[in-house]
Amino acid sequence: MSRTPQAPMFVREMGLPVRLTLYLVFGLGLMVADQRLDALSLLRSSMMALLHPMQAQLARPFQFFGEASDFFVIHGDLMADNRKLSQERDALLQSMQSWRSLELENTRLRDLLALPPRPEVASLAAEIIRTQPDPFARRVVVNRGEKDGVLPGRPVVDPHGLVGQVTRVYPTSSEVTLLVSKEQSAPVMNARNGLRLIVSGVGSDDLLEVRYLDMQADLKAGDLLATSGIDGVYPAGIPVARVLRLEMPSHTPFARAVCAPLAQTGQYQHVLILQPRPGLAAPVPPVPAAPSPEQRDAG
Amino acid sequence: MPDKPLLPQGQELAAPPSFRWVAVSLAVAFLLTLLPWPDGWRWLVPDFTLMALLYWHIHAPRLAPLGAAFGFGLMTDAVRGVLMGQHAVAYTLTAFLAIYLRRRLENFSAPARAVQLAPLFLFKEMLVLALGWLFGGHAADWRFLLAGIVAALLWLPLAMLFDRLAGRPWSESAPSRAVK
Repeated sequence: MSRTPQAPMFVREMGLPVRLTLYLVFGLGLMVADQRLDALSLLRSSMMALLHPMQAQLARPFQFFGEASDFFVIHGDLMADNRKLSQERDALLQSMQSWRSLELENTRLRDLLALPPRPEVASLAAEIIRTQPDPFARRVVVNRGEKDGVLPGRPVVDPHGLVGQVTRVYPTSSEVTLLVSKEQSAPVMNARNGLRLIVSGVGSDDLLEVRYLDMQADLKAGDLLATSGIDGVYPAGIPVARVLRLEMPSHTPFARAVCAPLAQTGQYQHVLILQPRPGLAAPVPPVPAAPSPEQRDAG
Repeated sequence: MPDKPLLPQGQELAAPPSFRWVAVSLAVAFLLTLLPWPDGWRWLVPDFTLMALLYWHIHAPRLAPLGAAFGFGLMTDAVRGVLMGQHAVAYTLTAFLAIYLRRRLENFSAPARAVQLAPLFLFKEMLVLALGWLFGGHAADWRFLLAGIVAALLWLPLAMLFDRLAGRPWSESAPSRAVK
């Protein structure tokens, strides 16, 4: 077919509706293949291998301007920051000392009780490079991928708490679904009394909720919720949320607790991807206690 | 005012939009969507790829076939990390409507055409949300429909720019009174 702007005099091609139908059938087939059979991950990751470098190049000027504005800081600010950071570091080192002795004691006690050792995790620092404009879930893209050994399902944390879970891995980047997105959830434990709960996202960036809560449950505003580790996806003890208030039921038998997530994804550029430490067995194969998106999509 | 001429006049007849122009403008529009847009506006960023596609579907449908819409849709799917085919189906349907209605759309002035295209842009956003909801079963964030309205608002400057680049005189898009 010659590329002319005007239609040729004698058209020898399929009509527009026929072409539309063929494309629609093909497109819907692709969607079904992707959703039900998960057959297109090769196509997707090869397309991303081509497109990701382009995206990285496009983002570079914006990064440069961001860094250039950081360059012009006042010496006094730097000094004050430095002082504050070294104080924080001293405090952290002190708490590390007591933590070490506690960890030793804990290991010894677990030995005495013949409990299996706690799974150890290593962490991999990653930078958030962009957020996905997805109307269905809150997702960000980080600059670590298959080549760094990232696998789908890995938990992602920031300095304050649990951020979410790696849901898709590309050659040089991966996609993290945030815990605050709708229908994501994590098993948690009330740090005050060990009450086990499931905290879920509601689709807002600064709210989480505990659904179907027993009316007599011992949960108060201000309680800290940390991961319980029973799902085998999230290791135990990562802070997740702080309870804001309890909403008593009006016409359902269950109460609902509104919580504030502790992770501050909007503020930090860097997150940590937790990986099981090499040499040790992987904690436990993922159990569908906290439905990860793939598992949900597959079902 | 005479009727609209059957053949394009002036510079457009001498130098019609070339395939290279169409390809370059589509690629640039696609790259625009890849820019790191601020997180707070993520539901306001219009779909530049679709805007460029619709421009060429209306003004030079021989140079931008339905397959182009499908291909760019697939790339958008890969980049956004949604189900493969979601944007491809939405783009193809919208492109079909644009090609189907293009004789009618050509008769409007450029501002009126933007108003006529607003439902098409909204249709695409709704289709993406509906397809994702049907296949994924997740509740959608309906704020993303705003991107369709932003696209309709930005259509006029984009069409002016493309008219200028394609060598089509802006006056050609002035209201034609031939259609009563």
